[in-house]
Amino acid sequence: MRYLIKYTKDSEIKFVAHLDLMRTLQKVIKRSELPIEYSKGFNPHMAVSIAQPLSVGVHSNGEYMDVVLGRELEENYIMVKMNENTPRGIKILDVVKVIPVEGVKKPSQAMAIIDAAKYTIKLKCTDEEDVLISIKGICSSGEWNIIKKTKSGEKMVNIKPLVYEFDYTVDNLMLNISTLIACGSRDNLSARLLADYMSENIEAINKEAFVDITREELYATKEDKLVTLSEFFKK
Amino acid sequence: MNKISDDILFKVEKPARYIGGELNCCYKEIDKIDIRFAFCFPDVYEVGMSHLGSRILYHVLNERSDTYCERAFAPWPDMEKQMRENNIALYALESKDSLKEFDILGFTLQYEMSYTNILNMLDMSGITIRASQRGENEPIIMAGGPCAYNPEPLHDIVDFFELGEGEEIMNDVLDIYKNFKGRKKEFLREISKIRGIYVPSLYEVSYNEDNTIKEFKPKYDDVPSKVKKRFVVDLDKVTFPEKMVVPYTEIVHDRVILETFRGCTNGCRFCQAGMIYRPVREKSTANLIDAADKLLKSTGYREISLSSLSICDYSDIRNLITTLIEKHKEDHVSVSLPSIRINSFSVDLIKEIQKIKKTGITFAPEAGTQRMRDIINKGVTEQQILEAASSVFASGWSTIKLYFMVGLPYETMDDVRGIAEISDKVVAEYFKIPKETRKRGLRVTSSSAIFVPKPFTPFQWAPQATMDEVVEKIKAVKYAITSKAVIYNYHESVVSFLEAVIARGDRRVCDVIIKAFEKGAKFDGWSEYFNFEIWKEAMDECGVSGEFYAYRARSYDEILPWDFIDIGVNKEYLILENEKAKKVELTQNCRLGCTECGVNVNFKEGTCFKGCVI
Repeated sequence: MRYLIKYTKDSEIKFVAHLDLMRTLQKVIKRSELPIEYSKGFNPHMAVSIAQPLSVGVHSNGEYMDVVLGRELEENYIMVKMNENTPRGIKILDVVKVIPVEGVKKPSQAMAIIDAAKYTIKLKCTDEEDVLISIKGICSSGEWNIIKKTKSGEKMVNIKPLVYEFDYTVDNLMLNISTLIACGSRDNLSARLLADYMSENIEAINKEAFVDITREELYATKEDKLVTLSEFFKK
Repeated sequence: MNKISDDILFKVEKPARYIGGELNCCYKEIDKIDIRFAFCFPDVYEVGMSHLGSRILYHVLNERSDTYCERAFAPWPDMEKQMRENNIALYALESKDSLKEFDILGFTLQYEMSYTNILNMLDMSGITIRASQRGENEPIIMAGGPCAYNPEPLHDIVDFFELGEGEEIMNDVLDIYKNFKGRKKEFLREISKIRGIYVPSLYEVSYNEDNTIKEFKPKYDDVPSKVKKRFVVDLDKVTFPEKMVVPYTEIVHDRVILETFRGCTNGCRFCQAGMIYRPVREKSTANLIDAADKLLKSTGYREISLSSLSICDYSDIRNLITTLIEKHKEDHVSVSLPSIRINSFSVDLIKEIQKIKKTGITFAPEAGTQRMRDIINKGVTEQQILEAASSVFASGWSTIKLYFMVGLPYETMDDVRGIAEISDKVVAEYFKIPKETRKRGLRVTSSSAIFVPKPFTPFQWAPQATMDEVVEKIKAVKYAITSKAVIYNYHESVVSFLEAVIARGDRRVCDVIIKAFEKGAKFDGWSEYFNFEIWKEAMDECGVSGEFYAYRARSYDEILPWDFIDIGVNKEYLILENEKAKKVELTQNCRLGCTECGVNVNFKEGTCFKGCVI
C-alpha cells in the first residue's frame, strides 16, 4: 500500500543536503517500525522516494515523500508513529493513502505530477526606498533574463513565463517575496535562480547576506486546477 | 549564546557539521546542573562523530543529573576563517555557548597529528594555551585516550590526564569537582590521588647532559610517584548507552558500533593497543544482542559494525554473528567486521555476513616475509595468507586489500621486497581458481604504512627508520612488484617522522607543538594542510632535535618519559619480547597459555578473559 507523506524541513536543518535528508527519513521510518517494503536484489533499498529535492540552505513547510508499506495502516497511526521518531527539524504534517483508481494501471508517483511550487524568499536590503523603486520596474518589465549555468555551459533564459504569481512587501530592511513558480519535470524554475535575478537587478540588496528561501507547498494539476499534492491524492 | 548566523553557514563547506540538533543528542537546562562539560574531539565533525569512545562517554556523562555534556569539534579551516572574521568563539554544538564558559573541556587523544587542533580549539575559544599561564577561572583542560599513555608532549597544555578506560574514572573526577568548583589548584591536587589521574604540574623532570631524563618525581609527598591505569573489571556491568547520536550528515563510520571486548591476546610486538588495553575482557553475547536491538531501534541504522581489536578472537563470534543476522533479517540489517584475522575460519565468517551485503575484504599480514612476521610476532604463515586469499577469490570476490608496514626494527631489504612477492603470490591464487568460478576484475591493493615505534611496546627502544631509508625501501617494493593487478600505496614519510617525534617525546616537545601552532600548523593529519616546513622551523627555534626522539636507539636502563605510568604489563616483559624479536622467536597467543606479561598479577582485579566463553 502506497502512502503520500507531507513533512517539514525546518529552518534549523536547512543546511542538511538532499541525500542526507533522505537517509534521515529512512531512519525515521525504521525507528517507527513501519512495515516498509524493500527493493529486491543484493542491496535492498527502502521504498521511499522524495517528491522534489530541496537544495541545501532551503527549508520547507510542504515536502512530500512516497512510501510503500507491506500492509495497510491507519493514516493517523503512521503520522503519530513517525512524529514520535523524528529529529528536531522534521515534522510529519499529513499522511494520505494513495488509492488505486479503477481502470488506471497505477497511480502516478508524486514526483511525476508536480507542476508548481510556492516559495517565500527573503532578501536582506540596505535601503527600502531603492528596493521598492527597483522592484516596481522589474515587475513592469516583460522579460526577466538571467544567465543560467548548466552542465553544458551557460545560457541566457527568460524566467518570467515560469513565474505564475508574484507578490512582495518590504519592511525591516527585508524584501519578502511570495511567489508561485513552475516546478517539476515539465517546467522548472529554481527559487534560487529567481532570488539571484532579484539580487542582480536590485542594487540595494545585500549581496553578502544569506537569502532565506522557504518552500511553502507543492502543487499538481487536477481538473485544470492547481491543488496541493495532498489534495490531489485525497478522495 | 553564540548566534551562528546563516550569513556565515551558507558560505562554508558542509554546514551541517556546525548545527547540532541531531537525533538523540542531549539538551539540558543550564540553571539546573552543576557542571558544564565539553567533550572535544580535535578533528572535523565526521571523524569525531565516528569515534565510539566519545559517543559512549557523551551518554555516560549525560546520565549524571548534575552534569551537562556537550560536544565540540575542530571547525574546518573555511569555517574557522569565517568565525575569526566575525568574532565568533568556538562553541559547543548543543547550547552554542563558547567553550570558555564551560567548567571542564575533555579532549580525546586518538592520534598525535591532532594535537595542534587542540591548541587551535583553545585559541578559538579565547582560552589561554599554556596550562601554567591559564587563570584560575578559565576552564580546566583534561585529556584521555590512547595517546595519553605518553602525556608529556602536552604537559603544559592539559591540566590533567586520565589514563585508562573513562567510564568510571570520569564519575570519580566529577564527584570531586563539585566540591572544588572555582578552586582549580586544590582540585588538581586532590584528584592526583585518584588512580588513573596524572596532573603534570605536580611533577618535575630533570635532564642529563646528553638530554636523556635524569629524574622524574612528584613535587609533593602526597602526590603518587606512579600513575596506575584504570580499567573496567566487568564489561557486562558497565553502562552501555542505549541511544547514540545520529548525525544528519554522513560520517565516516555511519552505523551502529557494537563494542564486543577490550584488550587483545595476540601480542604483536609493534602494537601499542595490544599492550595498554590488557587484560582481555568480553561482553556476553546475550548482552550484545540486547544492546544491538536497542541501538538499532533508537537510531534507525541498518548496519551494525562489531568493534574490538581483533574481532575474530571474540570467544563466541560465530554465534554472535549468526544470531544478529537471523534476528534482523526482515529489516535487512547487515553486519560488518572492521578487520579480520587471516585464516579460513574468518573467511567463513565473512561468507556468512556477505549474504546480506557484500563488503570489502582486508587482510593485514603487516610484513612481507615469514622472518619479519615472526619478528613482530604476527603469528600468521604465508600458507595461511594464501589459503585465505584463495578462499576469498573462490567465494566471489575479485578485490582484496593487504596492509603492510615498512621500517620495522631488524628489517632487511629482502624483508621489504617480500611485500611485493606476497602481493604477487596472492594474484597467483586468483588465477588458480577456474575461470568460470572466479569473478572478473582482479585487483590487489597493497598499502604500506611507515612504522612508528610507540611507548609501551617491545619496540619502544627502537630507532625509527630514517626518511632516506624508507624512501629506498618503498622504491624497492615498487620495483619488485611484477603483476599489473597489484596497486601499491604508501604513506608520507615526513608525517611518520613527526608522529615518531611526538609519540616518544618528552616535555620539551610541548614547546615545539606550541611553536608549530603559532606558525599556523593545524589539521596535520590531513595531507592538504600538513606543512613539514613549519615543524622543522619550530624544532629549530626551540632547539629541539627531532632525530633525538625519532632515530635514537634507547638503552634499557634509560628513563623513558612515560616510565611513571603503570599499565600492568611489566617492563621486563617488554624487554624479553624485544630480545625474542631479535632472535626471531615467537610468543604464543596468551589464550593458549599465560605468557606472564604481569597484568593479572600486578593488578589484583586484573583477571584475564573475564566474560569469555572458554
